[in-house]
Amino acid sequence: MNERAMTPSPPETDDKLLIRIRSGDEEAFAALYRQRQAAIYRFALHMSGSMPAAEDVVQEVFLVLLREDCGFDPERGTLSGYLFGIARKLVLRHVERGRSDVALESELDEAALPELAVNDDPLAELTEREGIAALRRAVQALPRRYREVVILCDLEEVDYADAAVALGCPIGTVRSRLHRARGLLLDKLNQERNPRQAMRGLRPVRCLT
Amino acid sequence: MNCQEFWNTMPEFADPRLGIGQAAHEHLEQCAACAARLRSQSALKAGLRAVAGQMSQAGAPARVESRLRAAFREHNGIPAYAPARAPNWNLLRRPMLTWATAAVIVLAMFLVRQPAQIAADGEPDGVTAGVTAVANSGFIALPDAAEIGPNEDANMVRVEVPRSAMIALGLEVNPDQAWQPVQADVMLGADGMARAVRFLE
Repeated sequence: MNERAMTPSPPETDDKLLIRIRSGDEEAFAALYRQRQAAIYRFALHMSGSMPAAEDVVQEVFLVLLREDCGFDPERGTLSGYLFGIARKLVLRHVERGRSDVALESELDEAALPELAVNDDPLAELTEREGIAALRRAVQALPRRYREVVILCDLEEVDYADAAVALGCPIGTVRSRLHRARGLLLDKLNQERNPRQAMRGLRPVRCLT
Repeated sequence: MNCQEFWNTMPEFADPRLGIGQAAHEHLEQCAACAARLRSQSALKAGLRAVAGQMSQAGAPARVESRLRAAFREHNGIPAYAPARAPNWNLLRRPMLTWATAAVIVLAMFLVRQPAQIAADGEPDGVTAGVTAVANSGFIALPDAAEIGPNEDANMVRVEVPRSAMIALGLEVNPDQAWQPVQADVMLGADGMARAVRFLE
């Protein structure tokens, strides 16, 4: 048996597909869309909490790609990072317009955030149904700048370089925000499991009456 | 090894089962704080993977691809489909609802008739033979339908039909998705009869 004939051919690279797209090849456009749309849809869905918004974002992202002046420069990063960057801007515009963001924006100072939580609770049930739901809520409740980096790097497994392109920041910032975001997540989950411990943060420091 | 040295050798979210040295092992046995922090990180990593796994099948609905393909064709000046000859687009100015309704009825009549022709061996007798691609446009000629003549006015309407309609034409359909509708372009002859169909997936 011819093994080579049985082996599915690897998907075409983004660069080759883009060349074909620029020459008017509809199937290349469809192939690129099918390779990339799901991750962008999920990113937009996590960020906006709205399926219609996520659908609109995916459509707009690929409409932008059709334009000759779409602004994609392979020298500055991969197509994946570029597409996520467009999606991010569209999501932010959607959120600003509709105020339908799933989490309240917070003006937390990055430097003032806690280090990764140290807790005896191993959070072992995070992979169970309720644990997953709690973790998803915790992700959605993160301030936007932390939520987007967790969604990109931890949920969609985008590498740091692509995430930096998408977020328009240096790789070091991606790393530090991710570190802070994970700390916030652990903090949030620990608080949910141990409300009494969370109340310690509300302990009055002086009496006013 | 102290705590700082331990975390210097243990990148955040690293899998402690991979490449952890003897000294790091010993530190974990002696330092409950680092061990707890590492357990928390591992649990969070597994939880995030579970969240991602729950959403792994999510994606934009098929209609987005249809819209984008239409936009691509318009952007590149490509006709909506490639019939044997240019259609008389004036006919499309008639109310599209009428055409769509007619197309669904005619297509349904063709497809409903097909099960009776299924041969005993399970092969869709008459269907396989009759199904031929029309040019390279992706259209499938409907069984027993007349070919579009060289001077005939052709028209096309886009409809949504049950995915099971694809089975009647000998196409493979995932049984789990058989209930889901699928968009299709139906090519109509000048007599209004459906001649060919192209499924958009």
